[in-house]
Amino acid sequence: MASITTNGPDNGADRDPVSVFERHRAQMIRDRMVVNVTLGLLFVAFLAWSVWISRFTPDRLATGIPRIFEYFGTVMPALQWDVLFDARNEAGRFPAGSIGYWYNDFWKYLRLIWETILMALTATILGTGLAVVLSFLAARNCTPYPWVGAAARRFLEFCRGVPEILFALILVFAVGIGPLAGVLAITIHATGALGKLFSEVNENASMRPVDGIKAVGGSWFEQMRYGILPQVLPNFTSYALWRFEINVRASAVVGFVGAGGIGAELSHTISFYSDDRVTAVLLLVVLTVTIIDLLSERARHALIGKESLK
Amino acid sequence: MSTLTFHAISDADIAAARKRHPKAFGDPFVTTLKAASWAFIVVYLIWSLGFFEIGKLLNASDRAWALMTRMVIWQDMAGWQYANIYKGIAQTIAMAFLGTFLGTILALGLAFFAARNTMPVGVIRHGVRRLLDVFRGIDQIVWGLVFVRAVGLGPLAGVLAIFISDTGNLAKLYSEAIENIDRKQVEGVRATGADTGRIIRYGYLPQILPVFISLSLYSFESSTRSATILGLVGAGGIGMIIIERFRAGLFDQVAFVVLNVLVVIAIIDWGSGLIRKRFIGERGH
Amino acid sequence: MLEFKGLTKQFNDTVAVKPATFTIPDGQMVGVIGRSGAGKSTLLRMINRLNEPSGGQMLFQGRDVTALKGRALRQWRNECAMVFQQFNLVGRLNVLTNVMSGRLFHHGFASSMMGIFTAKERAFAIRALDRLGMAHVALQQTDTLSGGQMQRVAIARALVQEPRIMLADEPIASLDPMNAKVVMDALRAINREDGLTVMCNLHTLDTARHYCDRIIGMQDGIIVFDGTPKELTDRAAREIYGAEAEEAFSEAMTSTTLRPQPAAQPEARRVVN
Repeated sequence: MASITTNGPDNGADRDPVSVFERHRAQMIRDRMVVNVTLGLLFVAFLAWSVWISRFTPDRLATGIPRIFEYFGTVMPALQWDVLFDARNEAGRFPAGSIGYWYNDFWKYLRLIWETILMALTATILGTGLAVVLSFLAARNCTPYPWVGAAARRFLEFCRGVPEILFALILVFAVGIGPLAGVLAITIHATGALGKLFSEVNENASMRPVDGIKAVGGSWFEQMRYGILPQVLPNFTSYALWRFEINVRASAVVGFVGAGGIGAELSHTISFYSDDRVTAVLLLVVLTVTIIDLLSERARHALIGKESLK
Repeated sequence: MSTLTFHAISDADIAAARKRHPKAFGDPFVTTLKAASWAFIVVYLIWSLGFFEIGKLLNASDRAWALMTRMVIWQDMAGWQYANIYKGIAQTIAMAFLGTFLGTILALGLAFFAARNTMPVGVIRHGVRRLLDVFRGIDQIVWGLVFVRAVGLGPLAGVLAIFISDTGNLAKLYSEAIENIDRKQVEGVRATGADTGRIIRYGYLPQILPVFISLSLYSFESSTRSATILGLVGAGGIGMIIIERFRAGLFDQVAFVVLNVLVVIAIIDWGSGLIRKRFIGERGH
Repeated sequence: MLEFKGLTKQFNDTVAVKPATFTIPDGQMVGVIGRSGAGKSTLLRMINRLNEPSGGQMLFQGRDVTALKGRALRQWRNECAMVFQQFNLVGRLNVLTNVMSGRLFHHGFASSMMGIFTAKERAFAIRALDRLGMAHVALQQTDTLSGGQMQRVAIARALVQEPRIMLADEPIASLDPMNAKVVMDALRAINREDGLTVMCNLHTLDTARHYCDRIIGMQDGIIVFDGTPKELTDRAAREIYGAEAEEAFSEAMTSTTLRPQPAAQPEARRVVN
């Protein structure tokens, strides 16, 4: 011990290594305590403020929560096993309790879901095309002029910052009720989201091939087309497929503001009926979204698998 | 070998090269396939745009132009009821925060039932997972509408909608984090002779807590984004103000509100990025 | 004839190439030597304007190429092909497409965007590949090739440009001695058979002495030597290389002359480079 504490005449107990360590430890714990307690208090205060602002009060909950269960009770289909698969009777109606009765409007729903998927597909193709072009302008290593890059990045930020349904609301006013407004709204938002992702992929691409194409006298377009695009294409495809999944979800709700697809039916059914029609539409939408997700995930995995084999 | 200029390449030279390297001149099958798929995409686009009546876009130019000019030219800015707007934004943030908080709590519970290594009973695990699929499969705004029908207009419906969809998202991500846990660390703690409580405290928590916090922060960010539109179906927040003023034709005010929302969201992203960096480093996600 | 008139390059406050004035007659094979950071690369890349000169002039056949813009600049780049140390090929495209990309300057917008190449271009590219002994890999994906093969593909790409000048920026610095020899032989063959002016940055003395008609030595952005290989005495070389002299000499041993004993040690050092 003495050999360690030779650096001063006052070799008191407060200078030996163990007590110095303990002192620092105690100080550290105190400091961390102060920070933690402050943060905890802030968190609680923020929570209390949130409860107050959103009027999430016990009495409202007490009246609200039973109504939730009540509501879900009314929208559940009253299926009966003995007539579940029965066909139309002589009067041309399905017996109550059968699937046919529950999905009386099945073909209408299916047509709308078809429209929803087409909307998402068109918007994905258009959005991907625009995003590819804009991503080359926006990527810092690719942009022909810095100010073009900055402008492109701001534009993409705006496109992905505003939610689809808000664009849809505005476009419905401009071009009228119907799927066109939805397609355009989703295209704009997808362009923004994909454009940002694509430009990040571009920024990670190697610039050597670009130098190579530049040196043969290639124009900016040729430098991008031959120098960057082959490097980033697999990533672009994967992101575009993933975006398609999201766009299907989006195109299922833009109908809430009149922009086509199953959304209008969904909104109308939920707003005006509280019977099994609500669950009928909802279930179809969930099924569609899940199937599209699964298929697209498969495709993406196949794509990635193929890439990793190369 | 002698040199040859490009212009001196004759048909005979091409034929000779083609004979020696037939595949270099393009596989007709692949070329056709490529051309066909591009043609398909183009034809589909043209057809679908026709199906969606793209012509309406041309007829709409007057309306669209009027709308745009009215969004850009701001009039009577004194009477815009700013208090109302900022109250709406505050309500949106509060809804997102409360919804994410409640969602985090429920997800914490459900995640352990959905993870393979903490829930050995397959039936329960799959049941919980399917429930979470339903929570996530239905869009937040649809949940908003459903809850508006159930509990009436106002932020309560919004909080519930965020709560449900955040529960679905978070529980799935949490359970993946639990499944990806490093067993060796847990075994290390167990080897010291620790009881179950301590194994969870020292073996599991240090691994999953940063991931959980980071995921919840992300969730809060994305909920603030999505909460802005919940008001379109009457579920409280700034969306209600947007749709009210939009319906009243006050497009300049709508533009102003949307700009404000974008700024607030940017600030929240920035702030939560700071928190993430400060407390969990970058390893959280 | 390529004339340099006080060509200079400045990066912020460091001068990479101090005003350089010299002339390269047509058909000469010029080697530029010097230690790393001496400004060789910058000098070369200023010729095809991958690096923009900060001052001075450069004339090719009496035409000022420092003032070119847009299509005229791209035409100039097409006239002076470049081969890079890291080959700068597009790894995900096949070899043939990489070679054909040398003709992109002659393409219209649509055909280049759609990637359509004519049969004539294909035949020409195959000929160029054949000349470098690479026609058998024409349809292989480029990033599956070895470094030496890639450099030969890169030279083939340069050849289909039908250039007047060939610039080579450290073409053998990432290659093993065997491939280095193949590549340097190819460059000299092009110089002798096609009468192309070849300007080549080299980090090894021996290679420069063995292949070039004329050697330019650079030190800290200044041309300190300009003469024939014979005039480049060991003393002169030591002056150019300064502290790195020993390294340059020892590396020269293994470079392209293929001495009987390819020592393992300098080989290992090259990997670090």
